[in-house]
Amino acid sequence: MAIIKAKNLIKTYADPDSNGKKFNAVDGVSLSIHTGEIFGILGPNGAGKTTTLEMLEGLKDIDAGSASINSIDISKNPYKVKEFIGVQLQANEYFDNMTLSELLNLFSALYNKKNDSLSLLKKVNLSDKANSCANELSGGQKQRFSIACALVNDPLVLFLDEPTTGLDPQAKRSLWDLIMNLNNLGMTIILTTHNMEEAQNLCHRIAIMDYGKIIAEDTPRELISKYAPERQKEVVSGNMEDVFMALTGHGLRD
Amino acid sequence: MLTQKQLYLTKVFIQIFLRNKQYIIFSLILPMVILGIVAFNDGDEDPIDIGIIDKSNTILSQQFILRLSENNLFNIIIKNENSLKDDLISGKLKAGLVIPNGMTAKSRTADIKLLVDKSDIQFIQTIQPILNNSLLEIERELTKAEPLFILSLEDIKSRSLSYINFLLPGIMAFMLMNLSIAGSGFNVVEFRRRGILKRLFVTPIKPIDFVTSIVLARMAIVIAQLTIIFSFALFVLDVEVVGSLLTFYFMIMTGILMFLTLGFSIGSLAKSQESVGVLASIFIYPQLALSGVFFPVESLPEFIHPFAALLPLSILVDSMRLVANEGLTFFELYSNFIGMVLWIMIGTFISTKLFIWKEVAG
Repeated sequence: MAIIKAKNLIKTYADPDSNGKKFNAVDGVSLSIHTGEIFGILGPNGAGKTTTLEMLEGLKDIDAGSASINSIDISKNPYKVKEFIGVQLQANEYFDNMTLSELLNLFSALYNKKNDSLSLLKKVNLSDKANSCANELSGGQKQRFSIACALVNDPLVLFLDEPTTGLDPQAKRSLWDLIMNLNNLGMTIILTTHNMEEAQNLCHRIAIMDYGKIIAEDTPRELISKYAPERQKEVVSGNMEDVFMALTGHGLRD
Repeated sequence: MLTQKQLYLTKVFIQIFLRNKQYIIFSLILPMVILGIVAFNDGDEDPIDIGIIDKSNTILSQQFILRLSENNLFNIIIKNENSLKDDLISGKLKAGLVIPNGMTAKSRTADIKLLVDKSDIQFIQTIQPILNNSLLEIERELTKAEPLFILSLEDIKSRSLSYINFLLPGIMAFMLMNLSIAGSGFNVVEFRRRGILKRLFVTPIKPIDFVTSIVLARMAIVIAQLTIIFSFALFVLDVEVVGSLLTFYFMIMTGILMFLTLGFSIGSLAKSQESVGVLASIFIYPQLALSGVFFPVESLPEFIHPFAALLPLSILVDSMRLVANEGLTFFELYSNFIGMVLWIMIGTFISTKLFIWKEVAG
């Protein structure tokens, strides 16, 4: 059953390169994402992945088309939709001088909820950082904390915008484990990435975007079988990142 | 009715502010130091050093020097020609008087020379009438002429107001303006730049929740800071306030609201942290100069008065001063209140028109 439905989504901006002209950053995107899926939107920078996500999150107006989450129209009821989605943004900045626990309590309060901040931090393996400020965290820890913030309302759908960009292999692998654990608990996850390996390893289905359009959509296996040249269909049990992880020690640092 | 979300966010904004101890200390110390210096020196201005060369050395010339010495405004120093010139050039003395030869009652009009820096117009305007007056009094004594008119001052309020009474509302209003602008305009732009605003708006809070929380938090912070300064003035510096404290604080709260909405407008107009600084300077500095914070507006050129009276800070300073020093009631100040409400409407209009909440995050 589809929990997210989007039909012909369009987002138009003024073209910075030509005076007065406009261009569609998102150009007729249609999606149908099923409950319990990890759905990836794969594409290069500027393909329209983040804009698509932000329209679904109710952060950006939908210029044309329609979208709903859990049968609620996003354009008509953005605040209602925000009640049951969790969002991890690309930028992870928080108020200064506030500890992780205090920030989680704040975000919980914004949903009129009360949470045990320690158990949330435990979920993302940050319980020892409860009294640290966000600016004291490493890149990987920050990303995991931003996922903890996105979980305060126990969301049905979790949006992750390039969650592993800029992370080292260990931190990346640790975040993949976290995403898969959340998905195993029944959470629907939509993530954007320009990392092919991430899309292939994590996602049940992938939409490939370029110039604001979806140019292909299927499971990774089907996409490979349909589009990849013959030599790439060889089954490989590991990759260079696995070699690196094995050599440096899995999970010893973030 | 305030919601739980608004109250929690308000608490967080206050908490963030209270943890910035350096900012709190510096924002309180400066006004306290200024008020302290003025209070401990109130009314007693340092006398102006005037060098005198007495070429006559007659009874009349000595009488003139004695009369000047009796004036608290002046500190008379007898000099010779060379040392007077050196001291004037080096700036040790601001003025010099040269009494010519043969200054006697029987001689013709004596041409007493006043040596000053002619560009120092304000100084010349201050001392010239006093010197003239001293000469006139001596002349009357000698000629036994009775003055035809005397202008005497009578205080109709039977109360002594000094510069500290004038300064206190001015400093408080200026502090209020700075804290409010920093709390709304600067905060919004900084939160937007760092993506914090976007993080807040992925949750189900509405712009009104965010604005209400900022307004409440800043209201509490500014009132607390002004109360510290006000208490310091009342209880440590012994400044007298004659008006109603309720009216005084009501004007303060209206002023905070006015500058918060104007601050939001500045934050909405500015695209970056640099431009918010420039816009805030354009907004703050003319008001500092023209709103009678440190000196009466009457000391400014007359053509500026109507413009100065319309400035938000002028209206606030005027209201606070009239309540604190003249004891005016709210009903006597309704025009000032309307003026502030108009500025609140202008600030609200600009910030709601320009502040695109959806895109604010991005």
